[in-house]
Amino acid sequence: MHLCGIRLRAGMSGVGAVVVAVALAVAGGAAWWLRTRDGAVRSPGSEEGGQMQAVLRRLGVRPAEADLTVVQFSTAFCGPCRATRARLQHLQSTRPGLAYVHVDAESHLDEVRELDVRRTPTLFYLDRDGELVGRSSGAPRPEELTALVDAHTGARS
Amino acid sequence: MTAQSSSVVARHERMVDVRGPRFGAWVTTVVLAVALLTGSGWLVAAQAVVFAVGALGGLRYAPYGVVFRFLVAPRLGPVREREPEAPPRFAQLVGLLFAVIGTLGYLFGSPVTGAVATGLALVAAVLNAATGFCLGCELYLIIRRAQTARAS
Repeated sequence: MHLCGIRLRAGMSGVGAVVVAVALAVAGGAAWWLRTRDGAVRSPGSEEGGQMQAVLRRLGVRPAEADLTVVQFSTAFCGPCRATRARLQHLQSTRPGLAYVHVDAESHLDEVRELDVRRTPTLFYLDRDGELVGRSSGAPRPEELTALVDAHTGARS
Repeated sequence: MTAQSSSVVARHERMVDVRGPRFGAWVTTVVLAVALLTGSGWLVAAQAVVFAVGALGGLRYAPYGVVFRFLVAPRLGPVREREPEAPPRFAQLVGLLFAVIGTLGYLFGSPVTGAVATGLALVAAVLNAATGFCLGCELYLIIRRAQTARAS
C-alpha cells in the first residue's frame, strides 16, 4: 500500500514534468507562428474577394471615396486593436487618400463568420475600385503598415 | 486631449501599467510549473484564487499586481505605456476556468486531467509573459462566433 503510494506520486510528477515540457514547446511554437503571421498581408482569390466586398459594403464601407480603405475588426478584450486603431487614425490625419472604418466584431457576428474573421485585429484593405487588395490578422508592424498605406495612397514618407 | 474626453476615457476603461500584467504572467508561469512538477493540486487551487481575485475584483486587487505596484514598479523607471484593464482582466477569467478544472482534477483523483488543464493555463501564461500575446483574449471572438453558429 505504502509502496503503491510512492509509485503513484512519482508517476504524477512524471506526468507533470512531461506536461511542462510539452507546454513550453507549444508556447514556443505559437510564439514563432505569431511572429511570422501577425499582420502579414495575404491576398484572397478573386472570387472569394468579390463575395467579401459585398459583405464589407453591407457594413457601410464605401471604397470609391478614398484611394485606400482600411476596415478593422476589433473586440473589447483586445489590447493590440487599440494600438492599431490609434496608428491608423494617425496615418489618416496625415494621408488624405486613406479612409478608415472600424467595426466592432461582437455586434456584427454574421459578417465575422462570412468574412471568416478569427482573430482581432483583422484588417481588410480595399482600393478605390472596391478591389480587395489584401487582409491581415494580428497587429501589423508599424513600419509595414505605413509602407502599405503609402504604396496605395501615393504618399511619400 | 481635453479634460472632458480624458475623463470619459477614464470612466469607460481603467488603465494599467503594461508591465504589471507581464510581471504577473511570469509569476503565474513559475507557480504553475512548480505545481505541475510537484503534482500539487493545492498550489493550482492557490493560483485559481489569485485568478479569481483579478478577474472578479479587478486588477487593482490582483495579488501579483499588488506585488508589482509596491515592490517592483518603484525599482523600475516611470510608467511608459498604459493599456486598458479589460483584456488582461478577461484573461484572468479564462485562467480561472482552467485552474479550477486543474484543481478539481488533482484533488478528486484524476491527476492527468489536473495536469493537462494546468498545462493549458501554463501555455497561456508563458506565451503572455514572453511575448505579451493574450491567448484568453483571442478565445473571446472564437467563442462568440461559435455561439452564433449554434443559434442560427
